[in-house]
Amino acid sequence: MKKPIIEVKNYSFAYENTDKKVLDSVSFTINEGDFVGIIGRNKAGKSTLCESLVGLLPFTMGGSWDGEIVIDGKSLNETKGAGVTDIIGIVFQDAESQFTQETVEDEIAFAMCNFGYSRELMRERILYASEACGLRNMLDRSPFKLSGGQQQRLAIACILALQPKVIILDESTSQLDPIGRDEVFGLITKLHAAGSTVIMVDHNIEKIAEYVNKVLVLHDGKVIEFDDAGKVFQKKDKLNAHDVRVPQVTDAALQLKDKLGFKEAPITLEQAKSVFAGYKKEGK
Amino acid sequence: MRECIIETQDLVHTYPTGVTALKGVNLKIYKNDKISIVGQNGSGKTTIVRHFNGLLKPTSGRVLLFGEDTTKQKIGQMARKVGYVFQNPNHQIFCTTVRDELEAAPKNFGFSEEETKKAVDEVVELMNIQSVLNTHPLTLDYTTKKIVSIASVLAYKPDVLILDEPTGGLDEPGRVMLTKIIDMMIENGHTIIMISHDMDYVAENSDRIIVMCQGEVVDDGSPEKIFLNAEVLRKAQIEPPQITQLDLYLENGYPKEAILSVSDFIKKYINFLGGQREWE
Repeated sequence: MKKPIIEVKNYSFAYENTDKKVLDSVSFTINEGDFVGIIGRNKAGKSTLCESLVGLLPFTMGGSWDGEIVIDGKSLNETKGAGVTDIIGIVFQDAESQFTQETVEDEIAFAMCNFGYSRELMRERILYASEACGLRNMLDRSPFKLSGGQQQRLAIACILALQPKVIILDESTSQLDPIGRDEVFGLITKLHAAGSTVIMVDHNIEKIAEYVNKVLVLHDGKVIEFDDAGKVFQKKDKLNAHDVRVPQVTDAALQLKDKLGFKEAPITLEQAKSVFAGYKKEGK
Repeated sequence: MRECIIETQDLVHTYPTGVTALKGVNLKIYKNDKISIVGQNGSGKTTIVRHFNGLLKPTSGRVLLFGEDTTKQKIGQMARKVGYVFQNPNHQIFCTTVRDELEAAPKNFGFSEEETKKAVDEVVELMNIQSVLNTHPLTLDYTTKKIVSIASVLAYKPDVLILDEPTGGLDEPGRVMLTKIIDMMIENGHTIIMISHDMDYVAENSDRIIVMCQGEVVDDGSPEKIFLNAEVLRKAQIEPPQITQLDLYLENGYPKEAILSVSDFIKKYINFLGGQREWE
């Protein structure tokens, strides 16, 4: 039995001075070791949800809320959003805007300094995080002179140094070129394989389908779907009605369902190759 | 024969750091072209388009904009003809309300108050941003900022619209809106030059793709041709859309034309697949 690490119980949230529920009675559970993709159109509540999971909302940035979020057994209502920074960390879309230091090394050390880590421990963690993120030979570089992919990896390194159990990436690849994007996906896949729980918000449906095992679809602050990726992407009409598309190969397979005859439409290119190839031979 | 509006002749650009970003590029862009420039970071995409409106000057060679050398034209005149939407909206936005941001360019280009109002009203309607007109643009979320940055250039309807990574951070409705805008511009005789890594979008929204690699143009042609050139794609590190790749695989790498969208794929395969076999 997997151990729950994030439990969201009937959670609603509205920003300060507004009545609109950006999140509306959201409930779901993420288990340790899950790799969850959160998808949905803009303003669906994806970032609000991510910021709520780390306690930034409502406790630091304000707003009204209802319900409860429990992180690794700690209720954020009880801790007032505090006490989870070493359990759950978040990487934002715009990594550059979060940097404050003159070198990569200082940037990675920054959060640890604030938490009062010992010098030895910081040294050890800087080496660990920079190694994991492929930044070991860039420690004395300026964060502002790195490429986009390197900057995102640095933002991840800053979080990794605290060794959280859960890492959230909020559209961390949307501004990267394919090489930078693959760098980040590659790193995240390694971290997931090593046991981390990963939550990823991304508009690149094909990549989400390829990497995650569970998909959560948000729309207007409500959870529309939360299930295995393979199951969620079968529901093309429902997703389309909520401004979310399915991977191209899934779309094609579902449209040719009568010709192909499968139990579950493929959601990755590799799956699609085997589904289509077998049939093409027959057809020719 | 269509009018050639931008021409580069042996264009070389070396930055003050000593990096040569363009190594002798010869390119002709025609009126009403719908072009995507693709290639990995550092291939010279942004450097070349910044020559089209005189933001950068050639180290050697020439750039002709509507037949005239860009070094002999005023930046303001060129900006009026060639609008440039930056990749990062934070680098472009400078006013304190969205309305001011949208009015800035038309006013600068000497639009009357009435013309400015009409131009702004039009893009506001088109891009559905009524609700944020009095907001400080830098407080908006990234996507809305991106939409505002596109709208602020669209407002003065430049002959040529350059879009640097326009789909970054856009969701599905955002992409649909962008497509609508591009199609409308093309229909009205404008020229679109898009820089993008988003191959799904490029495949469905370009008539011509220019592939750049290490400061040179390595391929130039229709998307149906470009996505078949495996060697160039590998060299330029470009990954065709998923559906294009599936078709390539099913054709053992040699279709006549690359498939660019799911609907093209369906048309091609609907009468092609057997569908007789039992699922194993």
